[in-house]
Amino acid sequence: MNPEFLHKLAELVPQVEGFIYPNEIEIHWSILIVLYPYLTGLVAGAFILASLVKVFTVKEVQPVYRLSLLTALAFLLIAPLPLLLHLGNPLRSYEIFLTPNLSSAMAMFGFVYAWYLMVVLLLEIWFDYRKDLITWANESKFPMNFVYRILSLFSKDLTDEAIAFDKKAIRVITIIGIPSAFLLHGYVGFIFGSVKANPWWSSVLIPVVFLFSAIVSGIAMVLLLYMIITPLRGKPLDMPCLDRIASFLFYAVIVDFTLEGLDFIHRLYESEESIKILSKLVMNKLFVSLVIIQVLLGMLVPLFSMAAAKAFRFNEELRKLSYFVAAILIQLGIFATRWNIVVGGQLFSKSFLGLTAYKMEVMGLEGLLVGIAVLIMPFCVLAVLLKLMSPWKTAEEHAAGG
Amino acid sequence: MKKLPEQVKRLAAVFVIFLSSVLLIRAYAVPAALKDTDIHRRTAVERETARRPVYAGYTACRDCHDDVFTSRKKGYHRNLSCETCHGPGQKHADDPEATKPIVPRERSFCPVCHTYDPSRPTGFPQVNPSTHNPLKPCITCHNPHNPEPPEAPHECSACHGEIAGMKGLSSHALLDCTVCHTTPEGHKLTPRAVMPSKPEDREFCGRCHRKGAEEKDAPKVDLATHGEKYLCWQCHYPHLPEGMK
Repeated sequence: MNPEFLHKLAELVPQVEGFIYPNEIEIHWSILIVLYPYLTGLVAGAFILASLVKVFTVKEVQPVYRLSLLTALAFLLIAPLPLLLHLGNPLRSYEIFLTPNLSSAMAMFGFVYAWYLMVVLLLEIWFDYRKDLITWANESKFPMNFVYRILSLFSKDLTDEAIAFDKKAIRVITIIGIPSAFLLHGYVGFIFGSVKANPWWSSVLIPVVFLFSAIVSGIAMVLLLYMIITPLRGKPLDMPCLDRIASFLFYAVIVDFTLEGLDFIHRLYESEESIKILSKLVMNKLFVSLVIIQVLLGMLVPLFSMAAAKAFRFNEELRKLSYFVAAILIQLGIFATRWNIVVGGQLFSKSFLGLTAYKMEVMGLEGLLVGIAVLIMPFCVLAVLLKLMSPWKTAEEHAAGG
Repeated sequence: MKKLPEQVKRLAAVFVIFLSSVLLIRAYAVPAALKDTDIHRRTAVERETARRPVYAGYTACRDCHDDVFTSRKKGYHRNLSCETCHGPGQKHADDPEATKPIVPRERSFCPVCHTYDPSRPTGFPQVNPSTHNPLKPCITCHNPHNPEPPEAPHECSACHGEIAGMKGLSSHALLDCTVCHTTPEGHKLTPRAVMPSKPEDREFCGRCHRKGAEEKDAPKVDLATHGEKYLCWQCHYPHLPEGMK
């Protein structure tokens, strides 16, 4: 046997408990695959928040409408990156769009991603920004005026009819966009939920659980960004807007918690042959990340914090603090959810007789540093987008105008 | 008909350019093999079938080595192909003098299948290589083409290592297996065809455990009331009675 391989195997063997199959000793879907559903979830959630303004005419949320759209775009642009890094051969990534395969669930990514990016998100942003892009193109100097002109596709029509058409188009796109956002993240859940051989993943509830945790994380992320960026710009926070987002977040967390609870009870009641190894997995390997971080810190504490803000009528400062803490904990909790699903599903043997462990590299393509870099990247893209296409101007005009 | 708004025309132009470039690239730049959506790409099947086979198959071996073939056919290794142990033999079949097949004589080879492993089926011959005649090559005692053991195992633990290990830690440690199981001699040679006996009723355990039994150290119960209609081993695992089911 290859001595290098033997040496590597000798390092891995002590982390095995019980009996596992040889190909299960090393975890193949690493931190990068944890990041993928996390980032995609933020896209879907941020878009759902934006759609509240246009479809359900929740006026209070208007100040974060454009921020939500740009957040969704920034995260969507980076979402495939962890997959590309994991697969290698990033130069071949476009092939998923050019050679679609209808019988492969993973290859459906090409359709889902192209539809959501090209037909939903970019179109909605373009229609929403068209008027501003034309104005900015006229007001700015070279080279920015040229950039804005290209972004507006050299459109010049600022007549009332054209603007009215934009508004109508945005509404239609948002109505199409909500099921599309559900499709996008439901699809990611489907990829896991349809793996028959893995009892930790295989559940029809997984796509729905993914979807609601996505909504929770997206709303929390926009809330967090709004609460960080606004003071940095030296502006006051819009409290009615914050309260409204927080109350949507509160209800979304309740639904998400209920669904996850239902999934858990369903598994317990069914008690299939995998139940023993799964309970061992939860009580040993995933105790901290599932029970402590995901459920306690990521759901119950934020729920109580937001419920207390409502019930005891906290003053503004205390409400801000409670929302901020809740949003951060929710991010942590949802990241732990992704971790528990992706890594947890690979920690137990399909023989149900043993467990292995996941030790993350620090350096290396699948390591911690790359993970952190991928996690920071959407914020850099968002910073560029915010600089290029300021979401604040019209929002403040809107507030000033009534 | 109402005129299309200006911005829709521009968007439509962008979409048309984008879609047509995707279609053009797909038509002219993507190799045909990549567009194949069968489970196995045609080119992959062609590539694999074009390879020269390295295995000759057992019939090729039989043509020259019919004596070995006949003896193997009667033994426990009858379901193994010759090339499982001797490696790919096509080259040897083509030119028997030029290339010789592998002959694994070293001690490390047989334990690949015969090391004790709890996941292997009961009755499959398994040994602990560090205690089973250490340093002796397996083939000094076993003929690999008909690997009947030179003598039948003396101890049940030779095959039932896990049970023996568990029983050794229990309060039944000092009882021989034959106290509860009657084992015909044939079980040692054809373990699945001839099975040992197992206790069938509560009275069997009662021989030591009923009230008033002679055995002093065994815990006593009233057979008439204890456990009602259940058999003893539905609650107590006889090889480790301390661990209740």
